[in-house]
Amino acid sequence: MSDTSLQKTSPGRRMRLLAPPFLALPAVLFLVVFFVMPLIDNGMRSVISNDGGFTLSRYVSLLTDGFYLWIIAQTVLLSAGVTIISIMIGYPVAYFLVRKAGRFSGLIIFLLIAPLLTSIIMRTFGWQVLFARRGLVNNLLVDQLGILSAPLRLTNSPEIAIAALVHVLVPFMVLSIATVLQGIDTRLEESAKILGANRLRTFFEVTLPLSLDGIGTGAILVFMIANGSFVTLVLLGGGMQTLPLMIYQQFNTTRDFGMASAMSMILLVIAVSCLFLQLRLVRRKGT
Amino acid sequence: MTVVGARLNKGLVLTGIHKSYGKVAAVKNLDLHVDDGELVALLGPSGCGKTTTLRMVAGFETPDAGTIEIDGEEISALPPHKRRLGMVFQNYSLFPHRTVAENIGFGLRMAGMAKSARDAKINEMLDLVQLQGRGDVYPSKLSGGQQQRVALARSLVVNPKVLLLDEPLGALDKSLRESMQFEIRGMQRRLGITALLVTHDQEEAMSMADKVAVMNGGRILQIGAPADIYDRPKSRFVAEFLGASNIYEGHVSDDGGSLVTPGPQGPVRLHLPEAQKAGQSLLLSVRPERMVLTLGEASAGLAARVVGAVFRGNYAAYQVEVPALGRELFVYRQADGPLGSTTYHLGQVVTLDWAAQDGVIVSAE
Ligand SMILES: Nc1ncnc2c1ncn2[C@@H]1O[C@H](COP(=O)(O)OP(=O)(O)OP(=O)(O)O)[C@@H](O)[C@H]1O
Ligand SMILES: [Mg+2]
Repeated sequence: MSDTSLQKTSPGRRMRLLAPPFLALPAVLFLVVFFVMPLIDNGMRSVISNDGGFTLSRYVSLLTDGFYLWIIAQTVLLSAGVTIISIMIGYPVAYFLVRKAGRFSGLIIFLLIAPLLTSIIMRTFGWQVLFARRGLVNNLLVDQLGILSAPLRLTNSPEIAIAALVHVLVPFMVLSIATVLQGIDTRLEESAKILGANRLRTFFEVTLPLSLDGIGTGAILVFMIANGSFVTLVLLGGGMQTLPLMIYQQFNTTRDFGMASAMSMILLVIAVSCLFLQLRLVRRKGT
Repeated sequence: MTVVGARLNKGLVLTGIHKSYGKVAAVKNLDLHVDDGELVALLGPSGCGKTTTLRMVAGFETPDAGTIEIDGEEISALPPHKRRLGMVFQNYSLFPHRTVAENIGFGLRMAGMAKSARDAKINEMLDLVQLQGRGDVYPSKLSGGQQQRVALARSLVVNPKVLLLDEPLGALDKSLRESMQFEIRGMQRRLGITALLVTHDQEEAMSMADKVAVMNGGRILQIGAPADIYDRPKSRFVAEFLGASNIYEGHVSDDGGSLVTPGPQGPVRLHLPEAQKAGQSLLLSVRPERMVLTLGEASAGLAARVVGAVFRGNYAAYQVEVPALGRELFVYRQADGPLGSTTYHLGQVVTLDWAAQDGVIVSAE
């Protein structure tokens, strides 16, 4: 039987008891060498001007220049859009998976993660094959069904990029939500019903609030991955500009490494804010 | 034309209820009447269909056949939220994301009651379950007993037509369970609420219910007042499930006055509570606490030897071996020996007997 109470032991205390500190040494060393040091290096590069002095000019232009602001906004909006669509698609799927699928749940989970087993390049080209000018979809619409007289321009548009991102990221959302839904005692929902709540109210009063944690976790995952996505946008985005694409450009075209560093720091800040937000969410619930 | 018909049956009436899960028949042709203001306990072993019956009343399961009426109104077609019931689960099922007060006020809010009226009712309920001033805490901060009281308050505050209790005390420890039995019973009586209790604990059923319905295999075997069911079990199952019983099998003697039961040293005659038709096969049940032991051999009764003696506080349980019957029987006696021991001891030779009217004839079911 699942325990639905929210008792939480202080994580800090438990961690201290787990193991002698020296066991963490390899992991710490690894993180220092491959994460902390590059990060510091990157941060330094973003504030050292080409002539060797200290400068914040790159950040100033990134955060004041309309062009850059638009790119940052576009990056965040794209990720937010992908996240919201993923929630709207993922929640019903997760609900069905946990509450209705029964013995088919294994199959559904397989179908969900199957796309993750193919490489991102293959998947992206798959979308192109589907939506190209003479691709499967247009073929069907124009030649087979004759609904359209000329093929639609479907690839190379933000919509297709969003669809492709949602396609890969929805499984993360579904699994995050399903895990939490699984832990909700159905008798809580039954209690609400007996007390006069119809199905819709039961959902909004009990099921949804109790599954917010899963939505939160899924949203953070999806948002952060979408935020850093690159290949999908390069191949399908139709010239849409986001921070990762700009960083790539700085390296390859402009060769302005300082600017690329500053941009990646901004990207990092967005990601960290996300994590912080999630932490807040969890803590609020633990009252 | 008379207008009596429809409103005749106050309370909860189940008629011909049947429910199968695939090939498993969980409830079979069940009839049950819980009178207005009465508390009936469904008592039975695990898997006998108690919860299924309760869930059909609640509307979480649909019966395959039969009708469910409350105060004369057929409710089978209504969804759970329109049935105006209260339900308490074994694991309390309080909403963890809502405070105690919000939990109690949930049903009122669903009914559309204004906040001020709601708050007054919530405070009234908090008083009733002795949780004054705890309205703002979250359920996880309360003890099991307190949580169950909140669950009770939450289901009672909406003034339900029928209160459904599914093993409401199963998660509590024994001493708390006993005091909660009184508390729930007291509250149900005071509010005059019709209630259906599901339990597999016979003590709980007997101490809380006006009537106990003993279930087995999806059927109600017997229903009646606790004392009645205990003292006059109709079937072997009821006699053995409710308390303990010594059961004797045999046929009625030619004079109709005793039961002849086979034994290793030849047939043994046991007295019957009343004369029976000669020759028929019968089962006779005698409660262990109705058996009388005397030290040594006596002219009447069965010679026996004590092979087990257990001190149980207010009484002692003995296991005695009866050579004439070739089996062992159970005897409970009031603890009346010297303090610190049982009255009889292992190996002692005793004589076993009971008053003829203390035997009960039961069916083999
Ligand atoms: N949802 C279900 N699907 C399949 N079989 C079920 C379902 N619910 C109950 N059963 C079966 O129906 C029978 C009665 O179950 P029920 O839960 O009513 O028993 P119970 O008397 O409440 O037992 P317990 O004391 O263990 O709670 C059992 O054989 C059980 O396996
Ligand atoms: Mg049960």
